[in-house]
Amino acid sequence: MTSSTLVGDLAFGLGGIHAWAMATAAVIAASCALVGTLLVVRRMSLVGDAISHAVLPGIAVAVLAGGRPGGPLVFLGAVAAAMLTVWLTQGLRAAGGLTEDAGAGVVFTTLFAIGVVLVGLAPPGTHLDAACVLYGELAFLPFDTISIAGQPVPRAFVAGATVLAGLVAAAVATWKLQVFTAFDPAGARMAGIPVAAVTTGLLAATAVATVASFDAVGAVLVVAMLVAPAAAAELLTRRLHRMVVVAMALGAVAACVGYLAAWRLHTSAAGMIAVVLGLEYAAAAALTPDDGLAARLIGRVRLAWRVAREDRLATVWRAEEAGNRAAARPQTPHEAVVVRWLEFTGHLLRDGSSWRLSPAGRREAENVVRSHRLWEAWLGRHADLPLDHLHPPAEWVEHHLGAEMRERLEADMDERAADPHGREIPPEA
Amino acid sequence: MTAAAGILAHNTVVVALGVAAVGFAAGVVGSLCVLRKRALAGDAAAHATLVGVAGAFLATGRRDLATLLAGALVAACAGLGMLVLVRRFTRTRDDAATALVIGVSFGLGITLVSGLPAWGYANSAGLEQFLLGHTAALTARDAWLLAAVAAVAVAAVAAILKEATLVAFDAAFAAATGWPVSGIDYAIVGLVALMVVAGLPAVGAVLVTALVVIPPVAARFWTDRVGTMVVLSGLIGLAAAAVGVAASAARPGLATGPLVVIAAAGAFAVSFLCAPHRGWIARRAEAARGLTVRRGDDEGEAGR
Repeated sequence: MTSSTLVGDLAFGLGGIHAWAMATAAVIAASCALVGTLLVVRRMSLVGDAISHAVLPGIAVAVLAGGRPGGPLVFLGAVAAAMLTVWLTQGLRAAGGLTEDAGAGVVFTTLFAIGVVLVGLAPPGTHLDAACVLYGELAFLPFDTISIAGQPVPRAFVAGATVLAGLVAAAVATWKLQVFTAFDPAGARMAGIPVAAVTTGLLAATAVATVASFDAVGAVLVVAMLVAPAAAAELLTRRLHRMVVVAMALGAVAACVGYLAAWRLHTSAAGMIAVVLGLEYAAAAALTPDDGLAARLIGRVRLAWRVAREDRLATVWRAEEAGNRAAARPQTPHEAVVVRWLEFTGHLLRDGSSWRLSPAGRREAENVVRSHRLWEAWLGRHADLPLDHLHPPAEWVEHHLGAEMRERLEADMDERAADPHGREIPPEA
Repeated sequence: MTAAAGILAHNTVVVALGVAAVGFAAGVVGSLCVLRKRALAGDAAAHATLVGVAGAFLATGRRDLATLLAGALVAACAGLGMLVLVRRFTRTRDDAATALVIGVSFGLGITLVSGLPAWGYANSAGLEQFLLGHTAALTARDAWLLAAVAAVAVAAVAAILKEATLVAFDAAFAAATGWPVSGIDYAIVGLVALMVVAGLPAVGAVLVTALVVIPPVAARFWTDRVGTMVVLSGLIGLAAAAVGVAASAARPGLATGPLVVIAAAGAFAVSFLCAPHRGWIARRAEAARGLTVRRGDDEGEAGR
C-alpha cells in the first residue's frame, strides 16, 4: 500500500481498517435488527433488554474458563445465561407471584452485577474489562484477524457474518411459525405449533445476537440495536417481512454512519451508532408519509387554513346577502391575514372600506353556504333538533361536503330553496 | 499520619451513611413504584442521566456532585418526557418506546463521556464513574447532599402515601372518587427519577434501577401491610447500600454499584426462600401439610 492511498483511505474512512470495522458493525447491527423486529412485534422489547444485560455473567464465566471472546464457549455461556434469566423470571412469577417486570428487574440487574464483578476478577490480558462491557471496542476489532484464502479477515467480522447467516437461515426456515406465534399465540397453540419452543428459540437468538455484538458495542447499548431499527421500521411499513428488511437496512446504515461519525468526532463508535439509530427513529416518526408527525401537522395546518378561507368567503357572501357591507370587514388580525390572502388570489375585491366577492370567490362561497344550509335543512328534517342547535354542526360539516353529497342531500328534500331559518339555499355553482 | 487516617476513616463512614440514607429512600420510593406495577419506570430515567452528567460538565465546566446531579435530574426528566412524547405521538408501543429511550439516551451519554477528553476537556476524567458507581471518590459534603435528597424523598412519600396506596390498589376507584390519579402517578415517577439520580454516584446509571426494584420486591414477601412494607423496603435498601459501600472500600478496584446490587439480591434471595407464609419454604411446607396452596397471582393482590 502506498502512502498516498493510506492517507486517502484514512481521509475517506473507506480503507481496509475502517471498511472492516464498518462491515463488522453492519453485520452485527443487521443480526440485532432481525431478532429485534420479532421482539418488538411480540412486545418483548424489555425481555431483549434484560437478556442483553444478563448474558454478561455467561460471557465472563466462559472467558474465565478459558474461552476466547467470540468463540463457541462464549456463545454457549451467553445462551445459558439468557435461558437462566428467562427461567428465573418465570420461576419468580410462578413461585413468588412477582409481576414480569419486577421479576425481570430483579434478575437481570443481579446477573449483570455478578457479571461486572466477575469481569473485575478476570486476569489482565483476557480482553475483558469494565469499559469493554459498557462500550465495546469496535475500533480495535479489525486488528485481530484470521486468514481466509490467504487474506487476513477480522475474526469479529467472520463471527458476526456467521451469526447473521445463521439467524437469517433460522428466520427463513421458521418464518411461518414465528409470524403465527407473534400475532396469534392462542391460535398457534391450537394449530399444534410448539409456541414455547418458538419463543425459546427467539430468546436464544437474542442471546446469540447480543454475544456477537458484545465485543463491538458492549452489553448495554445492544438494546438500541435490537429495538430502535425495528421500531423505526414499524413506523415505515405495516408488513412484517418488509419490516424485517427495512430494520436490517436501517441497522446496517446506522452502523456505518455511526462509526464514521465517531471516527470524525473522536468518540465511542458504539455510543454514536446508538445515537444515529435514535436519529433514524426520529426521522421515521417525523417523516413517514400519511401518519408521520410532519404529514399530520401539515394536514392539520392545511385543513385549518382551508376552513379559515371558506369561513371568510361565506361571511362576505352572507354580508352581501343581508346587504350589510360592514359585516364583510375582518374583525381579528387573523381574519385580516386571510382577507389579504384572498385578495391576493383574486377571490375578494376591495370595496371602499370593505370587501366584496369576485366571481371566483362567489362560486366558492356559494358552495360553502349551500353545504351549510343543506345540512341544516337535512338535520332539521331528520334529527329533530331545536332550531338553535342546527348551526354548530353545519358550521363544521360545511367544509367536508362535496358536490355529490350536496346533490344527494338536495334530492332528499321535498322542495329546495329554503333552510330551516327560512333563508334561500343557493344553487350549485 | 494517624490524624490523616482518622479523617479518611471519618470520610468513609460519612459517605457510607449518606449512601445508606439514599438506599433507604430508594427502597421507600420504590415500594410505591412496585405496588403501582411500574417496576421498570425508573430504568429509562436512569440510562438518560449520563447525558445530564456530561451536559452539566460541558455547560458549567464544574465537576462538583451537586452540579452533575442537577444535570442528571434534568436529563432524567427529559428522558421520561421523550418517553411520554413517543407514546403520545407515534404508533410505537410502550415496551419498545422504553427500550428505545434506554438505548438511545445511554448511547448519547456514552458518546459525550467518551468524546470529552478528545474535545479538549482534559479534566473530565471521572465522569465514567457514574456508569457503575464509585463511592471512593465521594466527600463528606457529597454525602450530606445525598442525605438531604433522601430526606426530601422520604418526606414526600410520607405525604402522599395514603393517596398513592389507593391509586396502586384500585386506580379506577381512586379516579371515580375524584383523586388526581395521573398527578399521583407523575409524583411517583418524579420521585423515582429523583432517587435514580441520588443513587447514581454510588450505584451507577446501568444498575441504579435495582435500588428501587429489589428492596420493595423483597420486602413484599414479609408483609401484607403497606406501611410495614415501605419501612422494611427502606431498611433492606439501607443495608444493601451500606454493605456494598463497605465491600467496595475493602476491594477498591471494584465498582460499588454491582456490590450494592448483589447485597440487595442476597436480601431478596433470603426473603424469597425464608419469609413466613409467602416464602418458598413456608409454602412448600404448607402444601406438604395438605393445606390450600396460595397462588401468588391471585386477583386483587397488587404489586406482586
